[in-house]
Amino acid sequence: MILKNNLKEVRQKKGLTQEELGTNVGVSRQTIISIERYRYKPTLELAMKIAQNLNIKIEKLFYFAE
Amino acid sequence: MSLSKKELSILIEVMYSIVFALIFLPYFYENQEKNLTLIDGLVEKIIQITIGSVIYFSAAYAILEIAFKKKEARDERDDMINSKSYKLGYLLYEFSLFIFIGYIYTKFQNKELLNLTKNKELYNSFQLTDGGILFFILVLLACTSIIKSLYQFYLYRTV
Repeated sequence: MILKNNLKEVRQKKGLTQEELGTNVGVSRQTIISIERYRYKPTLELAMKIAQNLNIKIEKLFYFAE
Repeated sequence: MSLSKKELSILIEVMYSIVFALIFLPYFYENQEKNLTLIDGLVEKIIQITIGSVIYFSAAYAILEIAFKKKEARDERDDMINSKSYKLGYLLYEFSLFIFIGYIYTKFQNKELLNLTKNKELYNSFQLTDGGILFFILVLLACTSIIKSLYQFYLYRTV
C-alpha cells in the first residue's frame, strides 16, 4: 500500500500557491512540492496542520492506495 | 536546473572540501614522513587554513544571502535529509577509521617482520609518523565530508 494524497487538487481548489501553503503551515515550498509528488511522507503533525489549513479532514487528504 | 538556497549551500561545502583537498592536502602529503614537531611551518599552515576557511565561508554565504534575500524555513524534511546524510557520513568515517587502524596494525606487523631481514633501508621505509597519521585522517575527513554532502545534495534533489 502506498500513501497518496489529494493535496495538489485541494490546494488549487482553495486558490493557494505552494509557497502560501508552505508559509501557512511553516514549511518550505520544496516540502509541499515533495508531498504533492509523493516523494516525501509528512509527519502526522504536518499532515494535520495541512488538513486544518485547507479545512479538510485528514483522511480525505491522505489515503492508502494499492 | 534551478537550485534552491539550501542546495547551493551544500555545493559551497562540497567546493570547500575539494579546494581544501587540492590546496592543503599536498602540503601534508609532502610532510607525512616527518613527525609533527619536525614539519616546517605547521602552525602557519593551520593559521592559513583557519583564515582561508573563515574568508571563504563568509564570502560564499554573503553572496548567497544577497542572491536569495528571502529566508527559507527549516522544516522536518530538512531534518530528515540531514539525519540521513550525517548518518552516512558518520558510518563512513567510523568504517574508514577501523580500516585505518587495521592498516596501522598490519604496517607495524610487517615492520617487525622486516626487522628480521636486517634490511635497514626497507625497515625505515615502513615508518608511520604523526605526519603520516595526520595526513590519512585529513584525507578520510575530506572524503567523508564530500560523500556526505553529495548524498545530502542528492536527497534534496530527489526527496
